[in-house]
Amino acid sequence: MINSQRKQQLLKAMVESGWDALILYGHSWRKDYFRSLVNFNFFGPHAIATLTRSGEIFILVSHPWDKETLSKSVDANVQYTSDFRNGFLEISSKFKIARVAIAGLELMEARFVDGPAVSATNLVEALRKIKTAEEIDALRRAAQLADLGYQHFVKTIEVGMAEFELAAEVESFLKTRGAGDNFMLIGSGGVEVYGMRPPTHRHFQIGDNVTTELSPQIDGYYSQICRTLVMGNPSEKQLRSFEIFREAQQAAEDFLKPGVNVADVARVQNDVFRREGFGEYTGSKYTRVRGHNLGLHPDENPYLLEDVDSIVEKGMVLIAHPNTYLPLSGYMVFGDTLVVTENGCKRLGQTEKKLFIKEV
Amino acid sequence: MKRGLITWDISEIQPAAFEQRLQNIRRVMSENQVPCIVVYSDVWRSNSARFLSNYMPYFNRALLIIPSDQHVTLLCGLSPRAYGWIRSVSPIEDVRPAGNYAQTLMQMATERRWTRIGILDFPQFPYDLNQSIQSLPIEIVKVGGLPPFSDDTELSMRRKAASMARSLLAAEIPLGVGCSGEELIGRLERRSRRAGAGDLITLVTNGRSTPGAATGHRLDENFSVSIALEYRGHWVRVSRAHGVDFSSQLLLENQANSIVENLSGSYPYECVQRSELREDSIFAVHIERQIGAKRLFYGDSFLLGPSGPELL
Repeated sequence: MINSQRKQQLLKAMVESGWDALILYGHSWRKDYFRSLVNFNFFGPHAIATLTRSGEIFILVSHPWDKETLSKSVDANVQYTSDFRNGFLEISSKFKIARVAIAGLELMEARFVDGPAVSATNLVEALRKIKTAEEIDALRRAAQLADLGYQHFVKTIEVGMAEFELAAEVESFLKTRGAGDNFMLIGSGGVEVYGMRPPTHRHFQIGDNVTTELSPQIDGYYSQICRTLVMGNPSEKQLRSFEIFREAQQAAEDFLKPGVNVADVARVQNDVFRREGFGEYTGSKYTRVRGHNLGLHPDENPYLLEDVDSIVEKGMVLIAHPNTYLPLSGYMVFGDTLVVTENGCKRLGQTEKKLFIKEV
Repeated sequence: MKRGLITWDISEIQPAAFEQRLQNIRRVMSENQVPCIVVYSDVWRSNSARFLSNYMPYFNRALLIIPSDQHVTLLCGLSPRAYGWIRSVSPIEDVRPAGNYAQTLMQMATERRWTRIGILDFPQFPYDLNQSIQSLPIEIVKVGGLPPFSDDTELSMRRKAASMARSLLAAEIPLGVGCSGEELIGRLERRSRRAGAGDLITLVTNGRSTPGAATGHRLDENFSVSIALEYRGHWVRVSRAHGVDFSSQLLLENQANSIVENLSGSYPYECVQRSELREDSIFAVHIERQIGAKRLFYGDSFLLGPSGPELL
């Protein structure tokens, strides 16, 4: 439950930064800073882990059931409070004369913070960017589950089914197989569709482009897969459109290796669209990002964008997904989780790289 | 999954309900002499903005700006490509992008010549947002300590959510013995989301610990399940044990080992002391009973009405 390799990294960073204590905060939506040291899926809504220079860990949780579970499974001092503000301030006062930094400070309720505070968010994020072997293993298992989840998606979808009914089936499938969470978006329709969002009452129709992003979480770590499916025989335009996405994603996969800049990983994808005459569809009006890091949060930094400056390192796990709107067939998605190796990258999942077709 | 189906069914919540709620909040503005009130929302803390506008982010943050004399504006971190969807699930028409919330808020204030703004529960804002708004050259009036947001429509939706949660557990718990915790969770997910639930969090225990995440063990007789269920933004909490009946009256006795959760705050649920609850609070109580070697859990959601707690 304690990420011991991360703990050693944090202790070293504390010495280098001159901090006597490091607080890792998490709330129900963003448990990731807390879980980067204490990988426990707390019920919530708040939890903090305080790491001292001597390596001791003090944990404060906001639900008594969390306290009981944690106390039995972790070598740390675990406390519960129903008044998290005062509980947190008490912990802070313990380190009154010490230099304390907080990872996740920006996410905390402002009233928890008493006086000037030092943020350790960027430092911890930089450490988290490179995954340990154990973390990569969790991400690999999450990617395998994403493969199975997408197979189930393809098998289950049918004409007339509502988006939210399909999402219910996929969610059930993933949770049955051990997913702790799943971030999922969906879109369906034709050229009028500009993006994905949560499932609606819309019923699938023949000819629809059905896009989805599945992000199952295993042991706290999110993998991600993006695929597009056509209900029935795809049109020439849908086939042509998909070919552009396939080539763009492949360009990222071929390019990705230690030492390159994420800006260029975005650029090689966008260049495929530019070459095909669709350069304007690589901007923020039609798309968000060309990919992003993955880990304890499904949308970690750095983002793959041409204006982001960040060097790729071995051990990073990210998704390259050139998802965007094209006038050929509407919004389309395609992406895979990749781990950066010594000389390049490897896909963690095995789902076929194709435009999926549902026979109707 | 945060979140599943998000929708606005006007047969459940009529536009007039939102108009009335806005009228009530505008009275608060008048009392505080502010030309607008700003309300924070994110994936997990959307109760207040949802009550006032039905908007519930599936990702990112948002600020709802309610002026005293104009329409509501949503400052939103989502792409403009999502604005059509936002307008389809809420009465909000004016949706604006906000990469930098404080700057966009200031721009609006300048355009409208506001010299002071009211902010709901400002100390509870995320630290970065709180600090950046605080540094704006404008007077900030902290609006807080309001009674829980409540009306007949809110209660009706919460009752619907509670009824859904109870039916869900009544249908699936009898089938749970011999299943793994994950299998039971999968079944609960399927049934609840097909019935229209937006989110479901499930904890299970085989009777040797408090409820927690599933661990792969098979469920024995007398296992317990505790769920947090969201129906169209309305959260409830219910816990049930297999094979044992409890009376909900037990939950209202002031038991030493009971857990009380406030469901009317900005979070879906948050532990509080019983004494902190106020009239119109929606809350949940969970108790633990020892039967043989087993620890069993039971809980439900209530309204604190004028004459005491009422089961939702």
